[in-house]
Amino acid sequence: MSWQVHLPALVVSVPLLGAFISIAMVKPRLRNLWFATILVATTILAFLMWRYVAINGTLVYVMGGERWNLTLPSGMTLPIRIIMEVDAFGAFMALAGSIATLASGLFSVRFLDRVNDGNKFVALFFLLFAGMLGLEVTGDFFNFFVFLEIASVASFGLIAFWRDRPEAIEASFKYAVLSTFVALIFLIGVGILYGVYGTLNMAAIAKNMQVGFLEKLALVLFIVSLAMKSGAVPLHMWEPDAYGQAPAGVSCFLVVVGQASLYGMFRIAFSVYGQAFEGSVLAWVIIVLGLLSMFIGVIMAVIQKEAKRLMAYHCISQTGYMLMGIGLGLLALSSSQAMSEYGFTAMKGGIFHIINNAMYKGLLFLTAGSLFYATGTTNLNKLGGLARKMPYTTFMFAVAAAAIAGLPPFNGFVSKLLIYESSFVVHPFLAVVAMVTSILTLASFVKVFQSGFLGPSRDDLNNVREVPLSMVVGMMVLCVMIISLSMMPNWVLANLIEPAARDLVNQASYIQAVMGSGL
Amino acid sequence: MVLGTVYTGFGFWNVYAWVMFFALGALIVLFLRSTGRGDYEKGTYQDEVFYGGNPVPQDGEDLAVPASSSYWGFTKALSRFYDVLVSIHTGILSDYMGILVVTVAVISILILL
Repeated sequence: MSWQVHLPALVVSVPLLGAFISIAMVKPRLRNLWFATILVATTILAFLMWRYVAINGTLVYVMGGERWNLTLPSGMTLPIRIIMEVDAFGAFMALAGSIATLASGLFSVRFLDRVNDGNKFVALFFLLFAGMLGLEVTGDFFNFFVFLEIASVASFGLIAFWRDRPEAIEASFKYAVLSTFVALIFLIGVGILYGVYGTLNMAAIAKNMQVGFLEKLALVLFIVSLAMKSGAVPLHMWEPDAYGQAPAGVSCFLVVVGQASLYGMFRIAFSVYGQAFEGSVLAWVIIVLGLLSMFIGVIMAVIQKEAKRLMAYHCISQTGYMLMGIGLGLLALSSSQAMSEYGFTAMKGGIFHIINNAMYKGLLFLTAGSLFYATGTTNLNKLGGLARKMPYTTFMFAVAAAAIAGLPPFNGFVSKLLIYESSFVVHPFLAVVAMVTSILTLASFVKVFQSGFLGPSRDDLNNVREVPLSMVVGMMVLCVMIISLSMMPNWVLANLIEPAARDLVNQASYIQAVMGSGL
Repeated sequence: MVLGTVYTGFGFWNVYAWVMFFALGALIVLFLRSTGRGDYEKGTYQDEVFYGGNPVPQDGEDLAVPASSSYWGFTKALSRFYDVLVSIHTGILSDYMGILVVTVAVISILILL
């Protein structure tokens, strides 16, 4: 047996190990080295996992046993062990999330020099990393809930990391209350399915799914809780506070953590319920959440004057594109003609947008962190003329802003083009909202660029210098990714996006990978 | 498959065509720049800002348009819409919880019935 079959367990356990050991680190330099080493190691493991899945197909890992039915009493056919199931979609999410996390971690190293609780920061950061990856590799509802809670609790600490600032404590408290409430909602949903099917394994439940009142009720609870965690309108209001108050590296990280919740929503909608849920109501609920998120997010962003809050609203807006793209795929799920006509294209757009958003939104938060590091503020009214003093940050901001606005030839344009064209087939109004959102996105980032980087130098910013090298390197990781995704769109679509979309649509293969002919 | 070409099912798009377009644009800009006057001297009166005939403020802050004034016309035209939208974002946790409960109710009605 190849050691690589253990990769799903390793991508979770390595950052967990990193978290527990980092608490005991005495010397800051050693801790920083440990921080960077674990980040790089986990990203390499995520890459290897993606590569393994791309070559060998869906990877199923049973904790503590070779197979889930190895030591069960005869006649018992329920998968009761902890089972991880990684298909191309899960592997893709883990890889995209790990790259963004690596960048945010490298960027945060110099932040650690300014705080006394660097060890706690690193421990929470790795706990969040483990929680996020756990969400993307688990094939079990209860473990999904556990990883959701690990990620949430770590997020509370990281959002409130500047604990001398009342706003940070308030933002963390709001998020904690809302997050705990929806976690309980999610747990009730899990309990309902467990009561009906007697198992917590997603594939086993999917195989036996017969959608009645209780299953629908559980679905409502899952959708609402994961929509809140991913920041979809109208459940988004915690997000500008939390992203605005967290350290910039953490804000970048929270983008991909939010996407892990989105992953959970899509996994449940496609792989657990799939075609067993008849009708188009669920798809339209997701599409409408997407439309609201796109438009309300961007319209609120236009009037912000604080760079990180503005970017947080854009994060909500970009989540809308993903919801709409994959919601259109769900709409077409029961009809092969609709799937080939627009559904699969929309799903490719939605999934491509996930990795695009992880890269450019992450980079935008890091550039906002650079502004804060260099000037002590992200209030755009107090900034100006920084392009000459911070050329690397300016260049990378311009790349990320052009990409998020969907300007050709950047990667954001490709995913948006796929969404525009496929949504137009369903109804032109969907495409119009998506395009108007894109125009307003461009408008608000032009405002940030003009206010922060252009114009004459201000006297109070005369001593501003470019940020340290490690922070530039952190931003550079994401900038290189954006340019790579932009320059090789057909390779990315063929090797990253299409396999992920195919596996997400193919419910039978998800069930078969775990259950075989069992149960 | 052409390098860098994305087929959407409705048409296609090529990244390198755009890169070449921008490269061509840059070449034209550089050509136009090269035809300009060559007697520019840095640090002389040629560098001075023309500020409508008024004295130029020393601090750049006095020259810049603040971010909160950007898109003033747009936000003014949509002020009634913005008033409603901003008033929903109260920042009060109990309001957020209320919206969450209402959302659960609405989605429940849509999916359960």
